[in-house]
Amino acid sequence: MKQHPLCTDTEHTPNIMDMAVPADVKQQWAALQTRRHFLGRTGKVLGWAAMASLLGDRALRGDAPASNYAQPSTPSGEPPKLPHFAPKAKRAIYLFMSGGPPQIDLLDYKPNLAALYDKDVPDSVRGAQQLTGMTAGQARFPIAPSHWAFKRYGETGTWVSDLLPYTARIVDDLTIIKSTNTEAINHEPAIMLMNTGNMNAGKPCLGAWLSYGLGSMNDNLPTFMVLQSKLNPKENNQPVSSRLWGSGFLSSEYAGVGLRSSGDPVLFLSDPSGVDREVRRKMLDAVNEINRQTSEELGDPETNSRIAQYEMAYRMQTSVPELADLSKEPKSTWDLYGPEAREPGTFAYNCLMARRMAERGVRFTQVYKRGWDVHDNVTGVLPIICQETDRACYALVTDLKQRGLLDDTLVVWAGEFGRTVYSQGGLSKENYGRDHHPRCYTTWMTGGGVRAGITYGETDDYSYNVVKDPVTVRDFNATILDCLGIDHNKLTYKFQGLDQKLTGPVPASVVKGLLA
Amino acid sequence: MKKNQGLATLVNRLLPQSKSTRMAWIAALALSATLILLPWLVKLDAKPHADWQQFLGRFHPLAVHLPIGLLVLLPLLEIAGTFRSALREAAAFVLGLAFAACLLALTLGFLLAFGSGDAGLLVSRHMAGGIALTIGVLLCLLARPWWSAGSVSHVYPLLLTCTLLALVWTADQGGSITHGSNYLTQYMPAALKRIALLGASTPTATSFYTKRISPILDANCVSCHGEAKSQGGLRMDSYALLMQGGKDGPVIVAGSADRSILLQRVTLPPGHKQFMPAEGKPPLRAEEIAWIKAWIQQGASPNSATLAGVAIREEHPDPPLQPVGDYSALLPEIRNMQQSQGEKLIPVSSKPEDGLVLFTVDAPNSFGDAQLARFQKFAPYIVEAELGRTAVTNASFDTLKQFTRLRALHMEETHITGDGLAKLAPLSQLTYINLSGTLVTAASVAPLGAMKNLRHVYLYNTPAQPAPAAEQTSPVTRNAQ
Repeated sequence: MKQHPLCTDTEHTPNIMDMAVPADVKQQWAALQTRRHFLGRTGKVLGWAAMASLLGDRALRGDAPASNYAQPSTPSGEPPKLPHFAPKAKRAIYLFMSGGPPQIDLLDYKPNLAALYDKDVPDSVRGAQQLTGMTAGQARFPIAPSHWAFKRYGETGTWVSDLLPYTARIVDDLTIIKSTNTEAINHEPAIMLMNTGNMNAGKPCLGAWLSYGLGSMNDNLPTFMVLQSKLNPKENNQPVSSRLWGSGFLSSEYAGVGLRSSGDPVLFLSDPSGVDREVRRKMLDAVNEINRQTSEELGDPETNSRIAQYEMAYRMQTSVPELADLSKEPKSTWDLYGPEAREPGTFAYNCLMARRMAERGVRFTQVYKRGWDVHDNVTGVLPIICQETDRACYALVTDLKQRGLLDDTLVVWAGEFGRTVYSQGGLSKENYGRDHHPRCYTTWMTGGGVRAGITYGETDDYSYNVVKDPVTVRDFNATILDCLGIDHNKLTYKFQGLDQKLTGPVPASVVKGLLA
Repeated sequence: MKKNQGLATLVNRLLPQSKSTRMAWIAALALSATLILLPWLVKLDAKPHADWQQFLGRFHPLAVHLPIGLLVLLPLLEIAGTFRSALREAAAFVLGLAFAACLLALTLGFLLAFGSGDAGLLVSRHMAGGIALTIGVLLCLLARPWWSAGSVSHVYPLLLTCTLLALVWTADQGGSITHGSNYLTQYMPAALKRIALLGASTPTATSFYTKRISPILDANCVSCHGEAKSQGGLRMDSYALLMQGGKDGPVIVAGSADRSILLQRVTLPPGHKQFMPAEGKPPLRAEEIAWIKAWIQQGASPNSATLAGVAIREEHPDPPLQPVGDYSALLPEIRNMQQSQGEKLIPVSSKPEDGLVLFTVDAPNSFGDAQLARFQKFAPYIVEAELGRTAVTNASFDTLKQFTRLRALHMEETHITGDGLAKLAPLSQLTYINLSGTLVTAASVAPLGAMKNLRHVYLYNTPAQPAPAAEQTSPVTRNAQ
């Protein structure tokens, strides 16, 4: 290779790899070489300077631990030894209701509001809250009581809106949290906070932490899978992006693997015509060998992740078609989930897939359903979304339960925030809109680890503020981890000088009242 | 005549020989008398006193464990001393130390009771026990030289035995004060309970009060508001006394939850001075508060069986996890399995005693009875076996019956017909079995009904329980009890 004219390097410089220095220093040196590559070979002086600081007095003492980097993904040393304690749930399914479901129209029953129709929300209730730009300029904040009637269901006598006739049948199995509250008032920060524990992008999401901490139960499917539901153009769909299921600073092998909602579940997974599996195997072996050499040369952990991902993709060539083959599902399945479940990409289909993944040892499945952002035309749009999701949620919980999976599967239903009691835009007897509301919203969980048939937390008469047992997003996530046998304070990863964790630096606590 | 002579010799032997011993005896008797008179000298008046007393007094629960430990050690040392005389010398020192520790614990305990204004039967009993115990240790201290000199052989062992019995009784009283008097018996197996608490018959009433409210009060309130200790003059150990209230009047106003002090106090913010249960005991659960609220609201009746809007789901919590033995010798083999693809054993958690889970999800479809049989040597450590969708048959029950620690058994979508399920009867820990999608019949699963802890039986999509119609969603979880 022709050398750069400015380069003073000769080919005969001493090689660090041959020197008697601790193995981990060699490894860090190798990692530094990626920067060297970037700078062109001129930058080696920088590298040597860094080398000297890396070696420090440890090299002189020669007592550095001879750790090998068998686990390239954990610079903090040993891979985490998890779960910390015997888990109640082995796996979780997270039904994410993107957009912010209106708690007042679904599960947070406020019978007193009917009498307050078109009255203003008292200032004492609103306090000094900063509103979104969408309603901050409104002259009035007229109360919009729910358009739908509520009835009591189940042995627990839980109030449920007429919009959710199917969910009403499983209320005795649910752990309803009326006091969930968040700090963010707009979609992107709020959804980031819910999914990754931080409003800023770049942190690993819940699923990535779980796969990092707990590892896989199944070698043939990813540990963490993401299912996006088809968009309905009648609804107000907020974008969801891959950083919601990204691995942040964790190795990319812990990121969620998405299945497409139409066509092949995974693109380019099938072998092209003329290439049989044996040829594919040979090709992968060759590519892996090259990658292994690169890994030895550069020591970049991402190279090992890439090898692992190729291998996973190869195994998924058989496991994914089997997973997506619904032809053997009995008639009772279709009776339960409804005809929509036959159509790939619908929320009902995704719920059915989530059950199939749970059966096949997928640790964490996140299903996204967009469209809950009902700023206007609540009475027009809300019935459509509820019709799309209500039966599927019921079917999933019922199906898991009858198949004996609910004992060790945690199901979570949550959005990123709630919606206001006051109407955004015009209020009439027939229609209204609702703006984002972070101070309280309703979520539910069911299955392994949580206490069935309870309602936790209370909101005030306007469903505006939490008056009892608040559950912050941090607490919510800490509780989910607890169900899976993880102490949220102990599942950490050293990055940028901090012991990073899902619940962040602000103290969070497991909500014992939710646990079985 | 001979008897009198014997007595005279005994008295002669016991009488203090030197002046210093005599002084010691006089001091000891004076101290004992003071201790005995203590409850009358400084009366526990059920009123809180100085803060410093409470501050020091709260070290009592810490300090009491020192004399307990020393006194339990003492007889062991004395017995072991017959073989190694050095230990007997140590015993003398331990006894002295125990006496000092007793005095310290007694002082702190008295400060605690007096300072915080505790009174009641349990507290008085605990205090009397503490005093008796301290005097016992003192007497042991004085009597021991006779015994070790060989002059009087039976007084010291007798005294020591009595002292240890007093220790057990006093410790039990103390434990009842802090944990409640049913702490030890709450989870006692029913058969044992019948023997231990013979005659203590429980009321058979099926009212909401008896079934729901009373247990909450017993578990959370009665240790301070009961027969033994009735703070604020309030007793909550019977319906009549509860409704009678305390020295500030009734705590329950039937029909008005808002005006009932009891509900107010349990719903204050936990940091509040008047919050109940006090002294950092765990707050009532939201659901328990909801029950109490609804019960008061609907008349606080002693005998109505149901309340509108409140449904109670019977709960049968799974028995606590039983630790498995030490399998560290098998670890290399377990790790090897994890490295390769196929069936493997994964620890339930980072605690080895939580056991292992057998996973077969990656195993080839051919995984069957022969492959399962290879796990026999791991049998006592496996708490969960995931055999769903494998080729195991009824013959697997012969292997599985040796998995004595098994809590959950997944056999869904296999070809078993259930003949031989009775062989699983010895698996006393088994709480979960999943037979969904198999060929089991109502007759072949019948033996499972006899397994007491087996609460979660799944028979979905089997001849034993055909798939439900679309609208019918009866829960398949069955309570065996």
